[in-house]
Amino acid sequence: MEDEAFTDISGKPISLDCQSHSSFCREFIISSPKVSMGKVMVYTCSVWLLAYAVFFFTQNTAVLSGAILVTLVGMMLHIHFVKVDHESLLVIGSLGIQVSSSYASGREITTFIEMSKIKDIVINEAIYMHQIIYYLCVLLKDPSEPDAVSSVVPLFQSSKPRLNCLVKVYKSCQEILSKCQ
Amino acid sequence: MGQRRKVAAGNNPSSQRNSGVSAEAARVHSRKHNICMVSDFFYPNMGGVESHIYQLSQCLIEKGHKVVIVTHAYGRRKGVRYLTNGLKVYYLPLQVMYNQSTATTCFHSLPLMRCVFVRERITVVHAHSSFSAMAHDALFHAKTMGLNTVFTDHSLFGFADLSSVLTNKLLTVSLCDTNHIVCVSYTSKENTVLRAALDPEIVSVIPNAVDPTDFTPDPSQRQDDRITIVVISRLVYRKGIDLLGGIIPELCLKHPYLHFLIGGEGPKRIVLEEVREKYQLHDRVRLLGALEHKDVRGVLVQGHIFLNTSLTEAFCMAIVEGASCGLQVVSTRVGGIPEVLPEDLITLCEPTVRSLCAGLEAVIALQRSGNVPSPASIHARVRNLYTWRNVAERTEKVYDRVVGEQVLPLDRRLRRLRAHCGPVAGSIFAFVAVLDFLFLLLLQWLVPDGVMDLAVNATGPQQQWRQEKSNKNDCFVEDASRSF
Repeated sequence: MEDEAFTDISGKPISLDCQSHSSFCREFIISSPKVSMGKVMVYTCSVWLLAYAVFFFTQNTAVLSGAILVTLVGMMLHIHFVKVDHESLLVIGSLGIQVSSSYASGREITTFIEMSKIKDIVINEAIYMHQIIYYLCVLLKDPSEPDAVSSVVPLFQSSKPRLNCLVKVYKSCQEILSKCQ
Repeated sequence: MGQRRKVAAGNNPSSQRNSGVSAEAARVHSRKHNICMVSDFFYPNMGGVESHIYQLSQCLIEKGHKVVIVTHAYGRRKGVRYLTNGLKVYYLPLQVMYNQSTATTCFHSLPLMRCVFVRERITVVHAHSSFSAMAHDALFHAKTMGLNTVFTDHSLFGFADLSSVLTNKLLTVSLCDTNHIVCVSYTSKENTVLRAALDPEIVSVIPNAVDPTDFTPDPSQRQDDRITIVVISRLVYRKGIDLLGGIIPELCLKHPYLHFLIGGEGPKRIVLEEVREKYQLHDRVRLLGALEHKDVRGVLVQGHIFLNTSLTEAFCMAIVEGASCGLQVVSTRVGGIPEVLPEDLITLCEPTVRSLCAGLEAVIALQRSGNVPSPASIHARVRNLYTWRNVAERTEKVYDRVVGEQVLPLDRRLRRLRAHCGPVAGSIFAFVAVLDFLFLLLLQWLVPDGVMDLAVNATGPQQQWRQEKSNKNDCFVEDASRSF
């Protein structure tokens, strides 16, 4: 519906798309920027130049074909396993939460958490690499002990949006959760 | 700094909305600081420094300052935790090297420390304990980042042996451009000024404190047919446990009604066990092992006399706790101990077995004749001597003074290092300071200050922490979202 300018924790722009399907069903999609052509060029060129340097000294053509193979396979693995195009969070009151992330290659991983297992959705802080960041997570409970938190599912793990974006998602989620409890 | 403030204003619409209110409040809040306490030693590790940091932070929060604590990760306890009243603790995953102190390379802790300082909008960095490598690192980085620094020294050092020569050199380097230093006693101040070649003007003395409500006397717990001597300390060399091992048989032979109650754990426990074995004193010398802080009072009130045999001590909390429970205190005359209690509440001896025995016998004679002040009267006198509120007030004054001071820019800092720490060490550390500065520039280029999210204030002037009994964490996060 609306696209404010949000960034992720390293300053790259991301976009948040909130879709309200009905009063108790909302979907949030966070899309990361596409793979930039420049970056692909830089990686490819550096691998090829390195291979050419090795070829120059060894005169072995297998190095060159190896380099081509490495870049191709590397790119395929990258778009299939690393590069996440967009992540979505679908909250349906009284039913549950569906979290899915789709990779640049089109592969999609979806998990569903039913409402009886969800204790709450909160924003928490964590140490990530050399930074301390905020992240949104779903607190799960064991139906047998409703007061304790049994485990935590972090959301938007690969796009890592900043706090202002998280707060927006958090507020809408809480609206729905509070309605159905 | 200026750049960071601009970012803060831009990021936080609520600050603009409330600008009318905050301008008015600014006068009141102008002296409120954002304090970051850094030390390797914090709970769950137990000890004097740990409780000092905790109590001081709580009192500063009560006074309206914002306090966060930075320490290293303890086992599985890493990340961000909240303690009572929204006291935020960062357990940073840094490698522990020796004795709960982190390894230092001068650089590797900079990214995380910078992140904490920036996101919490820290104005004063307060490092604790000279044994803590992390504290020195934090001072070093804070100065590189242009923040005001305070250092509290909790211990005394020698000058003679190799290890203390090295530590003293490090301390000189670390403290030569620190804005202010706090010591816990005058003896400690003298010691620190000499060790680190400091200007005594920038060294303050603020003693430790005890919570008097935790240590109240209860004479009914005493057994009147005997005299019990209580010793509570870690059983290590520094605490003079070898002296204790000499005293026990001598006094037990002379006085058949004398009992010893010893709380604490450590490598010197074996000395006491040997003595107990050799002289068959199993019924009269009880070793209680490690005590939790809450159990200390229960042990103290069982005794008549509190004995402290420390060989070195900057400020002895244990004797204040003992006196607060109404015990007669016998202690060695070392370090800052003579300043701690009024003369008539303490018997001071030389750190030798003979002198300690003589002192103890005099007190035992007094105790037997009933010629001692009542526990309640001793407690009443000690109660108001050392309170944490008083400590916090005095520390606040130090902060007020420090924020007015200028942090040395890099060129003057380098000159100060070269001039103060000798040509060799000075040059080395000046080089390290330059590298640290370059590393900071690199980090600022990789992750600009503006990209870091500012942390929601749990304490301080714009605090979001509410006292709600049920699920504290959730309520904090909810409050956080409301303010934005």
